[in-house]
Amino acid sequence: MSWLLQDTFGRALVEAVAVGMLTGLVGVHVVLRRLSFFTMTMAHATFPGVVAASILGINIYLGGVVAGLLTAAAVAALARTRGQETTAATGVILSAGFALGVALVATQNGFSRDLSAFLVGSILTVTTENLVVTAALLAITAVALTVGGRHLLYVGFDPAGARAAGYRVRLLDLALLLLVDLVVVAIVPAVGTILALALIVAPAAAARAWTDRLAPMTALAATLGAGSAVAGLWFSRLWDVAAGGSISLAAAAVLLVSLAAHRLRDGFRTIFLSAT
Amino acid sequence: MSGLVAPFSVPFMGRALAELLLLAVVCGPVSVLVFLRRLAFVADALTHTVFPGVVLGFLVAGWTGIAGGALVAALLTAVALTGLTRWGRLSDDTTVAVLLTAMFSLGVVLVSRQHSYTSDLTAFLFGRLLTVTPAQLAQTAVLAAIVLTGLAVTARPLVLRAFDPIAAATAGYRLTLLDLGLNTAVALVVVAAVQAVGTILVIALLIVPAATARLLTDRLTAMAVIATAVTGLAAYLGLLASWTASVRYGVRLTSAAAVVLTLVACYLLALLAGHLRRPPTPPTATVTR
Repeated sequence: MSWLLQDTFGRALVEAVAVGMLTGLVGVHVVLRRLSFFTMTMAHATFPGVVAASILGINIYLGGVVAGLLTAAAVAALARTRGQETTAATGVILSAGFALGVALVATQNGFSRDLSAFLVGSILTVTTENLVVTAALLAITAVALTVGGRHLLYVGFDPAGARAAGYRVRLLDLALLLLVDLVVVAIVPAVGTILALALIVAPAAAARAWTDRLAPMTALAATLGAGSAVAGLWFSRLWDVAAGGSISLAAAAVLLVSLAAHRLRDGFRTIFLSAT
Repeated sequence: MSGLVAPFSVPFMGRALAELLLLAVVCGPVSVLVFLRRLAFVADALTHTVFPGVVLGFLVAGWTGIAGGALVAALLTAVALTGLTRWGRLSDDTTVAVLLTAMFSLGVVLVSRQHSYTSDLTAFLFGRLLTVTPAQLAQTAVLAAIVLTGLAVTARPLVLRAFDPIAAATAGYRLTLLDLGLNTAVALVVVAAVQAVGTILVIALLIVPAATARLLTDRLTAMAVIATAVTGLAAYLGLLASWTASVRYGVRLTSAAAVVLTLVACYLLALLAGHLRRPPTPPTATVTR
């Protein structure tokens, strides 16, 4: 293992696998609960937190998590205002957070490099701190979802039933948003917002095409996430293109293949059924 | 008093304001439809999916190819989005997310083969609001006129489709065509705006004005008018703030970000005004025996 961490590409590979598994695990819930836009907003709205933290000299992960919590609270509060609904409220928060982050960054020197790193990441220059944070969060997420995944699913599909069964629905919803917040904050510095969204949504949607059951879906999503990450890195090295872009294209290709396979399987099943 | 007008007598400030006012006129009604149809994520996606078009256009024909490339990419996105969401194999938000990331990444991969990698991306994010050329102004005006004409013709079915898709289908409207029309309108606005004002500002212009107007009124026409007025006001105040901060106080305040933050401030004021105008529903009377 340690020989891998010596070289830049090896470190990127380790980070990519860890990030792919982490996003696959969380992505299943994001896809099932239709939280893609919220995830995108989280990625943009944690940006001012990260920038403010780095200006003030505190831990940037702390800044990101706090900004993420404020985002979740603001979306929830705005969505409950008369005449507003979740999509519009989320959109307003996204623009506000993004603009605030950009305004803060622009007051500093050399901001264009920081900004593009925020958008597309720089997985090839991943730091030891990034690696440790991602690995720790992967362990926490795996444990949390093993214990609570089934309950999260129940609350998502049938909130009224869950409430009647004695679940604290609000608390579980909040826990899921917090998990998304943590994952986004942990991986955006290394991989950027766009790749974060791609890796959270595409592998999980691909896994959803293969199975309807939660446990296999989660395992498959984590595998596909890690696989897309490794394949993307490999192609980026082969053809000398941006690593982040190449990984997210690999994830999209995996989804396309899964959808096509799903369709073929349906087609064969119909032919088979009509023949017998 | 002259401090409020003088900055805009400088040609580049005047052109920036003119560009934003043009966009305000078209974004008012478009943002209302985006609000009604809950297309905020689609609008966000379109601002990202034009990127590969911008890159390819630049590679093929230099600076003049950018607008054409963006137009092609935006129209392709509109068609792909409409088709994929009507196909219904994936949930809407998943489709949008995948299309957004895949197309943007294609742009990033293409750009990464070039040299000035970061400066291109920054220009794309911020636009060049203060270097808007008369040609860009004309281009924005043409696209705005096309979008407004299209909306004027189809406003009634679009609104019907937003509130009651079944009734719209029963009345003989083709929902897929209506969806394609609205997605195309949003795509055209993005193309008209993104090169001049950047993605940050386009997303805000397509979402925040209508959300603000909705806090102040229940009527659609009034919403469109208020949305345009608010955008125009925020454009003026934001540019003024950016100018004053940079020239007077030497603080670097990016003009695009300043306009967005002013727009969000208007939203917060409207939130407050809405609460004052319509006090929260009184607590239900306690049941007495």
